[in-house]
Amino acid sequence: MVRHDVVVVGAGLAGMRAAIEASRYGVDVGVVSKLHPTRSHSGAAEGGINAALGNAGEDSPEKHTFFTVKGSDYLGDQDAIAVMCAEGPGDIYELEHMGAIFSRMDDGRIAQRPFGAGGAPRTCYAADITGHVLLHVLYEQLVKSGVTVYEEWFALDLVTDGERCVGLTAWDLVRGGVQGVEANAVILATGGLGRMYRGTTNAYACTGDGMSMAWRAGVPLKDMEFMQFHPTTLKANGVLITEGCRGEGGYLRNAEGDRFMFNYAPNAGELASRDVVSRAEQTEIDEGRGVDGTVLLDLTHLGAKRINERLHGSRELAMDYAGVDPIEEPIPVRPGAHYHMGGIDTDVWGHTIMPGLYAAGECACVSVHGANRLGGNSLLETVVFGRRAGAAAAQDVRRNGMGGVFSPSAVRVTERAITRMLDVNEGERPYVLRQELADVMYDNAGIFRTAEKLETCKAQVTELRERYARGLVVQDKGRTFNSDLIQAIELGSMLQMADCLVTGAIARTESRGAHSRLDYPDRDDENWLRHTLAWYGDGEVELDYKPVTITEYEPAVRTY
Amino acid sequence: MHVTLKIQRYNPETEEQSLETYSVEMNDEATLLDTLDAVKDQVDGSLSYRKSCRMAVCGSCGMRMNGAAVLACKTPMKPIVESGEVPVVSPMGNLPVIKDLVVDMAPFWAKFRAVKPYLEEDENPPVKEWRVQQEELDRVMTEALCIQCGCCVSECNSMESDPDFLGPAALAKAARFVYDVRDRGGKSRLELYNGPHGVWDCTRCYFCNQRCPKGVHPRDAIAKVGAAIYQAGMHSDPGARHAKVFVKSTHKTGYLLETNLVPETVGAVNAIKDIPFALKLARAGKVPNPLKPHSANKLDEVRKLHTLIDAQEKAARAEATAGPRRPPEEAQAKESE
Amino acid sequence: MKSSYAYYPGCLASLSQKELDTSTRAIAEKLGMALVDIPGFTCCGAGDVHEARPEYYLHLNARILGQAEQLGQDTLMTICNVCTLNLRQANKKLQADPDLLERVNRNLKEVGAASYSGGVEVRHLLWEIAEGEGYERLKEIAQRPLEGVKIAPFYGCQILRPSRLLGFEDPDRPQSLERIIEACGAEPVDYPSKIKCCGFPIVLARSEVALGELIQPLAEAKEAGADAMVTPCPLCHLSLDAWQGKASREADMEFNLPIFHLAQLVGAAAGLSYDELQFKRHVVRTYPATDKIYQGA
Repeated sequence: MVRHDVVVVGAGLAGMRAAIEASRYGVDVGVVSKLHPTRSHSGAAEGGINAALGNAGEDSPEKHTFFTVKGSDYLGDQDAIAVMCAEGPGDIYELEHMGAIFSRMDDGRIAQRPFGAGGAPRTCYAADITGHVLLHVLYEQLVKSGVTVYEEWFALDLVTDGERCVGLTAWDLVRGGVQGVEANAVILATGGLGRMYRGTTNAYACTGDGMSMAWRAGVPLKDMEFMQFHPTTLKANGVLITEGCRGEGGYLRNAEGDRFMFNYAPNAGELASRDVVSRAEQTEIDEGRGVDGTVLLDLTHLGAKRINERLHGSRELAMDYAGVDPIEEPIPVRPGAHYHMGGIDTDVWGHTIMPGLYAAGECACVSVHGANRLGGNSLLETVVFGRRAGAAAAQDVRRNGMGGVFSPSAVRVTERAITRMLDVNEGERPYVLRQELADVMYDNAGIFRTAEKLETCKAQVTELRERYARGLVVQDKGRTFNSDLIQAIELGSMLQMADCLVTGAIARTESRGAHSRLDYPDRDDENWLRHTLAWYGDGEVELDYKPVTITEYEPAVRTY
Repeated sequence: MHVTLKIQRYNPETEEQSLETYSVEMNDEATLLDTLDAVKDQVDGSLSYRKSCRMAVCGSCGMRMNGAAVLACKTPMKPIVESGEVPVVSPMGNLPVIKDLVVDMAPFWAKFRAVKPYLEEDENPPVKEWRVQQEELDRVMTEALCIQCGCCVSECNSMESDPDFLGPAALAKAARFVYDVRDRGGKSRLELYNGPHGVWDCTRCYFCNQRCPKGVHPRDAIAKVGAAIYQAGMHSDPGARHAKVFVKSTHKTGYLLETNLVPETVGAVNAIKDIPFALKLARAGKVPNPLKPHSANKLDEVRKLHTLIDAQEKAARAEATAGPRRPPEEAQAKESE
Repeated sequence: MKSSYAYYPGCLASLSQKELDTSTRAIAEKLGMALVDIPGFTCCGAGDVHEARPEYYLHLNARILGQAEQLGQDTLMTICNVCTLNLRQANKKLQADPDLLERVNRNLKEVGAASYSGGVEVRHLLWEIAEGEGYERLKEIAQRPLEGVKIAPFYGCQILRPSRLLGFEDPDRPQSLERIIEACGAEPVDYPSKIKCCGFPIVLARSEVALGELIQPLAEAKEAGADAMVTPCPLCHLSLDAWQGKASREADMEFNLPIFHLAQLVGAAAGLSYDELQFKRHVVRTYPATDKIYQGA
């Protein structure tokens, strides 16, 4: 049993930023993470981080806000977006002072490049390894802060006293055993859930654990049906090739060599928003103008020097995982599940409806991305709202202590559940269900959706959840580094989150942003300009809705 | 393709150790990590290894294949299958094994923490960003590529002999700050790398450069830190004194002053203690006459070269230590304060 | 193999390891390699100058390469691992960056040294006789096969790694020394640490760490039944030979393992005598291995 004033779950950019901020308020902070912090998936972000510094061209937080609202297909909460865009520049300068190696302009200022649908060159970057650079900078700061990190502790369940969150239980992966983690405030920063899809850019760790913990504890999840498909991922294993490739001037071509994007987005072309580009690519592929299930990302005209300087990492990935040198030939790419816009419903300070529970980063839904996230906004979200959640949690703890009662029985309950899992010796192996889920989701809840496909999906997810409940065989019966057990638990989270996603998608009878219904091709502001809330109802998904916050910008037709 | 491989298994709970052979059917693009996944899913779920990003950026899956440290996710199996070889997969070296292919990274991270792995910030930063030239940042970009996977540490020959050696990963991290124009660490930072188990422990085996999956070239980074220490005039360590003899040799006689090496590196007292050893070498003709040093022709060229480079380096250092600039508008405001 | 080389013996072969220079010149004659001396060459700076004063190191090596070029030679032959890596690394850097080459040449000109255009290749003796025509010539001159002599190859580090700069063979599974040992009629002995470090660069500054490294190959080679060890590097040689006694005491093991220079091994097989190859200049007595060789004849 350990205890801290504030416990952060997850140690990617949002989690570490939250922990660093909370520690600045003089409270005792602990971080629980199933991975060592630098193994977090934030490190895989490539292209950059948006902020209206105005270094490379006329820009303003207001302009950033407008293009983010438009990009969200008007589902983003405008007050939250305004906060993010206004505070963004300060967070970038802070990261720079911490030592982030941002690429530079000739006069020594931070360089910025255009990203899709941004309306200005606003994306700050460190070559094409921005996430890696920021992740390591924040880890450096975390080490400096002296915050206690429980590395390779897998968070299992939130512990509540019926009203407030008072901590969590976690499985110590290295030593084995359930640990109680008592806290006055818990901040979830556990990232996304892309692994429920076949063909995803996400790491194996992105299994929606935190969202599922919150959901089971009775905290609603918001806009779960919105899954972003990134237009440029490698066919073999879904590895991401950054939007920065198009930001630097890369072309998308079909089998005939045409730059087809101008047929779909006459003005923006390759730099339209991600939902638009992914749909265009899928249409090209479906209509027979693809190349073996892909389209071609052509960088050859950029030349070796520019590619090596600005897109070195992408070149390495293309060579390692597609056997293609982008200096010489185009990279075959296709859309892949990339970023989940939905998540734990929070306000602009990371508060959830449960006292003592906060969330930030991809696992949260503030909502700043609405129905479609703009490239470069997710890293920004992690640092702005990670900082805010850390500050809010620390201030709340300082203000009123707010310690609840952590009942030791919580640990025993979790321990018994784990023992039950380990005791199963006959039945299916988890990987069988994991693969089925990934196929079902990709085939039926992908880029283009219909009622029929989604109902099929729901039925199959329900069936998978039943099979899961019957008990799966964890072959590793030991306590030391039992990754077989962890993977089985992760599968449980993914199944629950898949259910939330598909249930929300069935209900939303319109097309908005990344949620594209062939049977309801138009946006329907009259009925659907509202957030979906998915509640836990005795294991089932119960839907509810809440209004979108609109301040400055009335919903308008969205074209690029 | 049909992949067969042998995996070094270790179960800490029974202390059983074994080399097991596994065969799985894989597609042609499969990496070592994909293959391990197939073994774990289909053959034996109790196999343990770390993984996450599968795109060579998270640094989780460092392990050895045929004795050489690799990232499993960056190692394609096809060439190995085609060669007909049955590779042996084992945990990384120089770190205690927890289970199967999982090693205890705690000693690794302890060394990371020991190098003060963060920027020593200016007490009074600008409101906006520091003005830094791209070329200045490029000096630390190679080291910034490091993903802390441990492949270099796994193979470090010095660390095999001195487990306390800070080692290639931590010292590459050190170089990343030593050469950052925004860092205010100065000599106190360099002191951390100068003592016992610091840069002068490196035996230059170049295994780290050879194994690094990200092109960080840790040995080169260690040399960069050594250069910073040496050029800061910190010559107290025997390692730095050893280097000093070499530098001196090149422009004194043009050749290594072998007879100076021992007393000037380890000190006269220690050198005297080692006289029996020196006599043994002398008997074999291994001690050149110190009074009649062998001298290179055209030595004046080298002497002039040394003086010239010395002056150029001093000028360059003066420029570098000027550090990053404040934004002009802020610099002005600060001046008028 | 070339018919002529700019010959760069480096410091040690010119000083304490004189037997290496003598043996190299002797076998070069037999192999039909003309070794053209570089008047006014200096130390390459070893890892030390390279580390402490990288700019100076670069210029020192550019000067050596320029001198070789001035001799009309397109290949510079080394007989030391450290010289090989140092010269090749400087050479690659200069060849890849015209601006840098120009700057270095300006400095060389200012001090009156020969400039360098980038036209020299740096090759170690090992590579020249481990394949192609050199290997054929080696087999021809190896008239006195060293039958029944078990030789442990010890590569040393800086002829294998980093392979990006060296690249002659697979750095994890080198075979060049084994091929040469076989061509000489001896039997190569295999052992795991043949590609590891001898500890030489830190043998003075960190003697305990270095000895820890040194013990490993000596113990393994001995265990594998080697009569002698051969190395292409005079620094490894010094470590393995001169420091062997200390390693022996540290490990509390009797090694008594004679260490041959590559050129001595080849020379012995080519019929050169014990005295011509200056085996007596070794610290560890070379018999019984040399007895096996010379009494067998």
